[in-house]
Amino acid sequence: MVSIIGFLFLCLSIITNLFVVFANIINFFKLSFNKIIFISRFATIFILLSFLTLIFAYIISDFSNYNVFQNSHSSKPILYKISGAWGNHEGSMLMWITIMSIYSFIFSFVKKIDESLKFKTIFFQSILFILFSFYLVFVSNPFLANNVNVSDGLGLNPVLQDPALAIHPPALYLGYVGYSLIFSFAIAGIVEKKINNEWFRVLKNWSLFCWSMLTLGIGLGCYWAYYELGWGGWWFWDPVENVSLMPWIAGLALVHSLFISKGEQVLTKWIVFLSILCFSLSIFGTFLVRSGILTSVHSFASDPSRGLFILLIFFLITGFGLTIFLLKMPEDKKSIKLLLLNKTSSLIINNIIMIIACLTILLGTIYPIIIEVLTDTRISVGGPYFNSTVLPIMLPGFLLMSIAPSLSWQTNKLKNYKYYSLVLISLSVLIVFISIFTYLNPWLFIGLFLGSWIILASLIAIIFIEKKSFKLKFLKNINAYIAHIGVGILIIGITFSSLLKEENDFSLNVGEEISFANSIILFEEITVESKNNFQKLRGKFIIKKNDINFAQIEAGKNYYHVSKTITTEAGIYHDWFKDIYILLGGQENEKWSIKIYNNPLVSLIWIGIFIMVISGLLGVTKK
Amino acid sequence: MKKSNLLFNKKNLICIFTILVLMISTELKTEEQIETKIKNISLQLRCMTCQNQSIYDSEADFSIDIKKIIKKLINEGKTEKEIIEFMVDRYGEYISFRPMMNKKNIFLWLFPFVLFAISLIFLTLHLKNNKNA
Repeated sequence: MVSIIGFLFLCLSIITNLFVVFANIINFFKLSFNKIIFISRFATIFILLSFLTLIFAYIISDFSNYNVFQNSHSSKPILYKISGAWGNHEGSMLMWITIMSIYSFIFSFVKKIDESLKFKTIFFQSILFILFSFYLVFVSNPFLANNVNVSDGLGLNPVLQDPALAIHPPALYLGYVGYSLIFSFAIAGIVEKKINNEWFRVLKNWSLFCWSMLTLGIGLGCYWAYYELGWGGWWFWDPVENVSLMPWIAGLALVHSLFISKGEQVLTKWIVFLSILCFSLSIFGTFLVRSGILTSVHSFASDPSRGLFILLIFFLITGFGLTIFLLKMPEDKKSIKLLLLNKTSSLIINNIIMIIACLTILLGTIYPIIIEVLTDTRISVGGPYFNSTVLPIMLPGFLLMSIAPSLSWQTNKLKNYKYYSLVLISLSVLIVFISIFTYLNPWLFIGLFLGSWIILASLIAIIFIEKKSFKLKFLKNINAYIAHIGVGILIIGITFSSLLKEENDFSLNVGEEISFANSIILFEEITVESKNNFQKLRGKFIIKKNDINFAQIEAGKNYYHVSKTITTEAGIYHDWFKDIYILLGGQENEKWSIKIYNNPLVSLIWIGIFIMVISGLLGVTKK
Repeated sequence: MKKSNLLFNKKNLICIFTILVLMISTELKTEEQIETKIKNISLQLRCMTCQNQSIYDSEADFSIDIKKIIKKLINEGKTEKEIIEFMVDRYGEYISFRPMMNKKNIFLWLFPFVLFAISLIFLTLHLKNNKNA
């Protein structure tokens, strides 16, 4: 019953959107723009109700719904019943189109936009909505009825039963799907020939918001991978990770390009192209993940017909976007002034670098598929490839971003360059000294240098801004510097945690002590506990320093009886400088095998990402 | 008396002691070096029975076996390159996370750097043009 209501709302939403599209093409009711926009809002309300119905079906464990039966279980905690609604392919696609519709709903309330531009954007957004909703109805319907009468469901994949992963998909989709609005708005701009300062401003705000959300989503995903997968790391150059990184980089390039064009209306072609690219990459990523073409940790139940359908949507949308783009290519009003080195040229260099990085990741991700099709051999393109191509290419970009925000638009002079050189020289001397007296490998040297230089250079720039205050308005003005400081912190965190990671395997009896990373770790006891939907095996460890117990962590495994799977629950002791990360392995002859990592400065990674997200959101509200 | 003095004087004792210490430490060092070598190699190899995990990170039976084989090969004096080639011969190119430098992967390896070089040339041309104008 609940499913029927949900499906009904879905259909109503599709019909409303169809009406909006046809009302635009042949307006036989002679409706005004405002009326049609008003009607389009109902589509959002319907789809939202449809999505809420699905969530409701999950909450009440309505196993007459096939999707609920496949992905839920009555013994699950309520939080994971709710998040289970988007923890599977069909539900997540419903969330995808719901978010898409919410974006156009909120957009319809934006003031100070030309009416025809707003109307065209909502028109394109409705077309996109219809395409994806057909996909939902025909190949991945979350409201299918269950043929058999069952008393309980099959359960949600246990690794997904986690708070970070409950909010990871919504945040990620707010980014991915948000690019649909960027796409619609960009296309609407060139179709209506309304590319003016307003258009740039609106595009900047929305693309910055999408980018911030995507950053948050990716960050949460990394955090989840770090403590839930139990591999000791947080980024594995997994195809699914690469797929999220591509629109992220393209979106970053878009945001930066929009800064160049602020009030100048330059690079219009490039900006429209990037807007199309961001959404295309989002859909392409979805195709790669959902078609099951790639081997990855994210194994969605995959099915070739779904992949084919998304591929079709991808070609339709990208083809349409690029055709419109080529036919109605916007012209720049002014030419840009490139000097060595002014703000414009440095932003363009960074744009080029980002696009090369993005294309390299794209190539590396799909190359195994191409090779398999062409030569019938399987190859892997993994971390070593990306580390030795993407990283060196990004280096000049990182170097440039340290001073780019303080460069001038018109001349190639850097204000206060004396201070910059002074700090640069002393920083180099300091790091050279550190590297002489300690063991620093070249990558550590580069990472430490780049990270701290980016932070210092941004700080110098902030110091020399006149009229400092601690008001929100001031923070908004310096949000670019803050974001760059975040990147600097992130670089230092990544460098230290990946290069200075220590790890050791031990085989211990309960009650034994070992010394590790300047502290003593006592393996105190093993406990087994029965929870509602899983069994918990935990090893309790006490970390001692100078005979004082200063931390206690639990590492172990969970056994989920519904799906008969075991998940690893890493025990992490977290402080500002290091993480002690313990994994409990199997038991052999009374001894437990235990893996302990010392991950230095991991906290900087999360702090860096957090700063980037916050400064992005600050920028959205900036005038 | 003199004879024994010759053999056991302070200098000789110190020498012998240092040699002993050195021998032990080099012994320890090689053990450590082997471990880092195994790490470097196994990080580049895919665990064939897992989902996109390296042999180093994986605890699967397959990976444990491969790690043992790597250790054996290192002790036989094989270099990193030889060991990876051995694995590729045995399990196919799929096992190596670093794509081989061969005819079919040449595009993959050259693409980013060629693109980088092209944009560098393009940029220098444009920057100059503007300076002259």
